[in-house]
Amino acid sequence: MQDFVTAADTLKSAADGDSKLIEQICLDMWEPLYRFLYWKVQNREEAEDITQETFVKTLTYLQEHQSPGDNFLGFMKIIALNIIRDRWRQNKRRGVPINIEAVSLEETAGVDPQTLIAQRLQIENALAKLSEDQRAVLDLRIVKGYSVAETARLVGKTEAAVRTSQYRALQGMAQILDDSD
Amino acid sequence: MDTPENRLSDYIDALNVERDPEKHRGSADTPELAKLLAAVRLVRSLREPVLPDPGYPQRLSQAVSGNIKKHNPANLPQVAVTIPESGRRIYEKAGWWRRRWALPSVTIAIAGVLLFAFLTNGAGLFNRDVAYAMEKAVDQLSSYHGVLETRTTNAAGKELEVRRMEIWYEGDKYAVRQDDDTLSRQFDGTLTVDNGERRWQVRPQDKELELIPPYPPDSYVDLRVEASWALRYPHTVVGSEAIAGRQAKKLKISPPGGLPYFLWIDAETNLPVQSQTALQGGVQTTSTFLSFEPNVRIGPSIFTYNPPAGYRVIEDNPMQLVATAQEAAVTSGLTPLFPQEAPNRIFASKGRIVLDYGETGIMETVATGSFESKFLNNFLLGTAAGGPLEVIQGIRLRWRQNGIEIRVEGPQTVELARQIAPDLTLPDPGADLVGKAQVKVPADLESAKAEQLQADAGHSPSADKVSPLEVSFTFVNLKVSPQGTSGAPKIPYTSCKLVANNGAEAVVAVADGPVNQVYLKRLVRQDTGIWSVVGYDSR
Repeated sequence: MQDFVTAADTLKSAADGDSKLIEQICLDMWEPLYRFLYWKVQNREEAEDITQETFVKTLTYLQEHQSPGDNFLGFMKIIALNIIRDRWRQNKRRGVPINIEAVSLEETAGVDPQTLIAQRLQIENALAKLSEDQRAVLDLRIVKGYSVAETARLVGKTEAAVRTSQYRALQGMAQILDDSD
Repeated sequence: MDTPENRLSDYIDALNVERDPEKHRGSADTPELAKLLAAVRLVRSLREPVLPDPGYPQRLSQAVSGNIKKHNPANLPQVAVTIPESGRRIYEKAGWWRRRWALPSVTIAIAGVLLFAFLTNGAGLFNRDVAYAMEKAVDQLSSYHGVLETRTTNAAGKELEVRRMEIWYEGDKYAVRQDDDTLSRQFDGTLTVDNGERRWQVRPQDKELELIPPYPPDSYVDLRVEASWALRYPHTVVGSEAIAGRQAKKLKISPPGGLPYFLWIDAETNLPVQSQTALQGGVQTTSTFLSFEPNVRIGPSIFTYNPPAGYRVIEDNPMQLVATAQEAAVTSGLTPLFPQEAPNRIFASKGRIVLDYGETGIMETVATGSFESKFLNNFLLGTAAGGPLEVIQGIRLRWRQNGIEIRVEGPQTVELARQIAPDLTLPDPGADLVGKAQVKVPADLESAKAEQLQADAGHSPSADKVSPLEVSFTFVNLKVSPQGTSGAPKIPYTSCKLVANNGAEAVVAVADGPVNQVYLKRLVRQDTGIWSVVGYDSR
């Protein structure tokens, strides 16, 4: 198991530009941070970008501030969440509004396994309330990652019907999740 | 057309190819669409995360290092950070997506029931794609009882072995009785039982019951494994045949980098009735369900551990189910290495731990003796934990770390292995391993093609050419004795050691004789083709 408690003097030296220590911290910690971010943004490109930005901002912050204490990974997750929020604000300024809801920010950066299980159950619960047809389309398009054309072939519909079906299915999902709040 | 339906679909497409949708496709321009995009992300969180390519951690550390050095500490930008201990809320009130994470137990129970309902219905919709229909049909299978016949034939179609086994399957439990070997007419009767907690074998002929390790599982029993592989790989329906009295669709499945194999799926029930491997090493195996009863009630007694009277019980270091990593450490005497992702189950015995991740399993044992495999001669080599990493068929890894030998096998292999050994590097099939050979050996492509055909048909000695060690062994001995030898070869097989293999090119070190290293290449077909010597270094 990896140890995510990183000594204050190690962090300070890394923040001052010690390449070896920066490499060590990056190699030790990239994966849990990346997984956390992927869980939020659900695509590799964005998760990779924000992982890098988080390391840079964290170490930059530590050049002038005290080490965050024991939970360095938790500290980085908070910075990562701030970056996601900042991205949202920037997009909004550019006139491409994205609802902050889309990135599913919580007020805490820690995501424990029970939380993940609870979320999973809630999503699966919502899926179970959809029609069989809608479930199949979401399963193929989003969970299994098939294209519209492949999904159309698999379920025996036209591509336009698949697009309409997935739209309605997601409307249904959103409504169910709204109602369960 | 830029309709909300199309924009939503584009968004899903961007995520499916792991791209940032906002960067490449634009994003939501209405609260309604934004809500749907968030729903997409939530549904997508049901799948496993896609990890970056192996070079990402190094690129990351270089980029971070370069960026940090550019910053002038006297003129740093401030980063907004909110420390949880301060008690301040980091974000404003969120909207509909905010889940009440601590769900009441009743809600969880209801969700579980609904999840079960979700998993156990859904027939009939997907008859346009056979593999998908099979996956759905298998999903609904809570239990079965059947007789499976396995026929092994050589390239000429001659039967080498025909065995029958009776299978009882229910959830995570199964029992398999080896009924008889039809060719030798010998009754076996060995009963293997796995009740989810322990696995044992009852051997009537010897009047013995032996507790055996739960790993690796008998994956052929669980039809979900077969179905998931069929769906995962490119597949086409190539015909329709009657198998064991039932009409079945014949599906050709082409795993990337592997030889195609066939699956026959019952046209009525959508359940698999027969599978046939590719002809590899001159042998082909066909497994057929001669009878199959889905969703039958299976009496609990068959899965109950109850040694028959008069039987000797062999408990040679049996594995037991343990609850925690600490318990595993105490039982095994090892300091286990766990991935971050928690396993479904942990088994431990003295000197051994098994982590069960469903289709993927991890076995950790005390590392003793040489790392080199005594049984395998055709594996790829990467690196892990600063040492060699054995890679077999892309889904089986073996390496040593902290005095422990680790084997990982299954579709999640690389992802889980990297959680244990973050420096794990898979062999790069594009790397030039043979370019530095001192003496080049002219490649004869036509001859290699002919030999490839021979090897595919299982004819020896061409079949031996599927191993770089075998090819090197022959090559160096012919160097010493160009006319061939009688009796023991002058350079023993044990002198040859595989030092690099990326699937396309390989290097074999030779401890004795005039050749120091042999360089080989798969001239005809990468991944599964025969090896040809393309160079060597003299000693």
